Order: sequence, then C-alpha cells, then structure tokens
Amino acid sequence: MKQRIWSLTTFFLRNLFTSLTGLIYLILVLVYWYIFFPPEQGTPDYDNYVLIIGGLGAGLSFLVALSLAARANEAANYPFLVRLPSKVEYLTAVLLSTVLATTILQLLVALLALFEGPDMTLPLALDIPPVWLAVNVLAAVLALHASDFATAGWSRVYIFGILAIFLFGQNINESVTNWLAERAGRLGSFFLSRDIIALSDIMNTFSAWLMREGTETLRQLFGFIFWPFHAISEAIFQGFFNPTQALAPAILLLYATILFMLAADLFANKDVDFTE
Amino acid sequence: MIEIQNVSKQYHTLKALDKISLTIPRGEVIGLLGPNGAGKTTLIKLIAGILFPSAGRIKPIDGAWPIIGYKPERLLFPNNLKVHQYLELVAQLSNIPRSQVIEEVNKSLKRVGLREAAHKKIKTCSKGMRQRLGLAQILIGDPPLLLVDEPSNGLDPEGQEEIVRCLHELHTAGKTIVMSSHQLAEVTEVCTQLIILNRGKVLYQNSMADALAVQAHTIIQVDRHLDGVSSLLQRLHPEIEVEGDTVVLSNEAMALRRQVLSLLLHTNFDVLRVEQKRVTLAEIYTEAMR
Repeated sequence: MKQRIWSLTTFFLRNLFTSLTGLIYLILVLVYWYIFFPPEQGTPDYDNYVLIIGGLGAGLSFLVALSLAARANEAANYPFLVRLPSKVEYLTAVLLSTVLATTILQLLVALLALFEGPDMTLPLALDIPPVWLAVNVLAAVLALHASDFATAGWSRVYIFGILAIFLFGQNINESVTNWLAERAGRLGSFFLSRDIIALSDIMNTFSAWLMREGTETLRQLFGFIFWPFHAISEAIFQGFFNPTQALAPAILLLYATILFMLAADLFANKDVDFTE
Repeated sequence: MIEIQNVSKQYHTLKALDKISLTIPRGEVIGLLGPNGAGKTTLIKLIAGILFPSAGRIKPIDGAWPIIGYKPERLLFPNNLKVHQYLELVAQLSNIPRSQVIEEVNKSLKRVGLREAAHKKIKTCSKGMRQRLGLAQILIGDPPLLLVDEPSNGLDPEGQEEIVRCLHELHTAGKTIVMSSHQLAEVTEVCTQLIILNRGKVLYQNSMADALAVQAHTIIQVDRHLDGVSSLLQRLHPEIEVEGDTVVLSNEAMALRRQVLSLLLHTNFDVLRVEQKRVTLAEIYTEAMR
C-alpha cells in the first residue's frame, strides 16, 4: 500500500511541478514573500512570521488541493485507479501530494523570510511545524470536499453550509437573538391558542432564555469548533503554547481526519466519472 | 470468474443497463457488440469497479476479486510522461517489487512491439503506438482479467491485425478478456463468447463457435438441372435440398457431402462449385438488432 500511495504521490507532484500551474504557484509564493517580507525592510516579529506564512500555507493548500484534485480527476488516470485495491489509496495520494507540495512552497517562503527576519531559536522553531501542518492538512481536506473529485451529490453543499452556519453563529448579535426570541414567543402564543400547553411552555422558556443569556451562549456554542484557531493565534502572540493551547493543532488534525474519512467514504462509494 | 446478477445502471433518467445477468468464465474472450449507447462501456466500467450498479450485483465466482487490467476506449495518457515512465508507474501500482519493475515493463513493451518507443514522450506517440501502449499497460503485472474497450478503434488495417494477434496471444496465455468492439471481423477472430447489447439489454448471447455453426450449410453446384437425381439425393437425408442445378446440405446432412458428391459424379454430373457457407457475425448482429 505504501509503495502504491507513494508512487501516485510522486506522480501527482511531478505532474504539478512540471506544469504551468506549478510555475504559477511558484511565482505566486515569491510575490507573496516579496510583498509581506520585503528583503530591504525586514520582518523581525516572530508572530507575524508564523501567522503570515501559516495563512499562506492554508490558502496555498486549498488551491493546490483543488489543482491536484482536478488533475487526479482526468480520464487518463482510470488505469491507475483500477489497479488499486481501494480507491481510498488514490484519494490519500492526492492529499499527501497536496500537503507535500504546499510544504515545499511554504518552506521556500519561510526560508527566504528568515533573511532579515525574526531571530529564530530552536524552541520557537519547533513550535511552528505542528501549527502550519495542521492548518495545511485541514485546508487540503476542505478543498477536497469542495472539488468535483471527492464530492458526491449535495455533500459539499451540506459541509460548507454547516461551516457557514457555525461561522455565522459565532458572530451572532443581540438583534438576531431578540428576533429569534420574538419568533419563539409568538410560536408559544400560537401553541397556547391551540391549547398545546406543553409546547407553548417550551417555546416561552426558550424565548426567555434567548432574551436573558442566548446571545453569549450561542456565540460560545457556535464558536466552539473555532477554538483551536483562536488558541493557536493567542499562543503565537504570547510566544509560547500553554498545555491547553498545545492541544489546538491536534484538534485541527482531528477535524481533518474526520473530514477526510467522510471524503474517503464519499469517494469510495461513488461512481467515478473522470473528465475526458 | 465473475458473475453479473440482474445488474441495472441508471444515469438520471437514462437506463444504461437493464437487469443484465451474465457469467464471465475463466479463460474466455467475451466480445461485447452493440451500437453506440448500447451499454458496452458501462458494463466494462461496472466490472472494473469504476461504476456501481444501481441494482443487482457483480461478484467474483471464486471468492477474491481478480487483479484487473483496464484499457479505456479513449486513448488518454498523462502526456508529460515517457512511455516507460508510464508503464513503470502502472507496475508500481500493481505491487511488482521495485527490482522487477524494469524487467516487467520491458516484457510488456516487447509483447506489444513498442520497445523502440520506450523513451519517447507519450504526447509524441502516434495513434497506433498509443493503442499499443494501452494494451501494454494492461499486461503489466499479468492480471488474469483484462477489460478492453474498443481495442483497435481508429487503427489502420495493419494496426488492427497486430491488436488481433496480441489478443490471440493473451487468450492462448489463459487470460480472461472482456472486449467491446465495432469491428465484427476482429470479434469473430478473437472472441470465444458473443454478447450483443442494445439499449442496456442483452439481445443475444452464445459461444462464438455455436453462433457461427448455426445455419452452416454446404452448396454443391453442378453443370445442369438435377431433376433426375433429386429424389435419390433427398432419400439420403431430409435436410438435403435440391434447387435447379444446386444441392444444399444443411446441419447434419453436411456430413454426407462425400456421398452426395460421389452420387453426382457417378450419375455423370460435372461439379462446378463446392462451397462451405457459415452464417456471418454481421448476419447474427443484424438479426439480433431487428
């Protein structure tokens, strides 16, 4: 299995880096470096260094995954797919090549940015790889769900729809909760008018709870899944990871694992219709 | 080797295959015939595991799924690779130990006559070379089941002959082959089983030998009208027909052709023509499509 996945990974990497798309990515990261880490100016801040290159990694990982998924989705690859005992190996190779391609490009910028960049000590440097890697892997898996390659039916609408709800939910404000409370209150009155007392009570209690403490609780509830991002940025700004914050990259990898398992299940059980 | 039980495949509103049941026995060469859109490619993709049946099931008869070599209909390859690099990748995906990859690639290149082109970029290969490359890749790793969609599509007669020769060799080597084709001559020459599909249904299914044996007959033409001997001839076998100056021997009566010829010669007829006629695949196909 390792030989098969590695062979496909090197094939995809070679395919990407010997194409115009690969060249464009290379130019893109050099431009990014020149804009954010101009050599004549210098960028001494460690936190900026980690966050700006981490942001590049996330964006790049998403784009590279889309490019590689499109390449893996070509009909020329049918004979490869048929040879594999499991289609998941094919998907794994796409993910692995994305992570490797992103890492190569990200490391290029990271090394260039060290000229006139922050003073890097070994403990500080060791904090960086788990953060960048976790974010890159998560972005790559999300991109797989966005691509035609791994998606099946309405799966991407559900996944990105749920993500959008959580993003919206963590920024929920008083006016939204007041509006929701008002609607719940009206529903309570409606049930009361129909003598459905139990449901009316539930709605009224819910409405009262929304008015009292709903905004903050909903924010916390929806924002919970984004905790690792907040924890990582806080740790980077303070210059070290406390034990709780140190879990954040692992939790991002857990998200990525769950989403990858979902993508693998979708890909393994769908009709493969590569583009000709 | 593979059993297909009541398999249907639906693409939105289009029923590509409709309750197909087939058995693919080991060592046979199965020819799928049918017009465009009959369901041939869909059936091959279902066996390859690229598509899933909407209903029914496809299962190996003897437990484990065999390793499959698949040549798609369209000649699409990763153009940035050289011929040998492409085959090396297929070999690596086929669990061939690294030390044997080169040897395996050379063996398959030799088998399809592509050794000279091993270091050529695929994008510079001719159509014929690409067709042979398609065959070379399915031979890698010696898979027992080969799925070949339109093996000689777009090839000149020489190229088609080469493909037929190669498929013959594979059959002799004991491979099970499922191939779709529009070339009736190719199917007649290579296949041992015949399946004619149309609109997702199996219209005709038979072994090639039995299919072509049906309605076999021998025609003997003599120099003049046979009125004088027709009753004598028909007494030999009821399936001997006499029409003017021609005797037609059908089915079992064909075994009597020596006796018939001897009788005709002894009664002073000059034999002008003896012809062994068989039903052609074109006739079977036309009949099935009717």
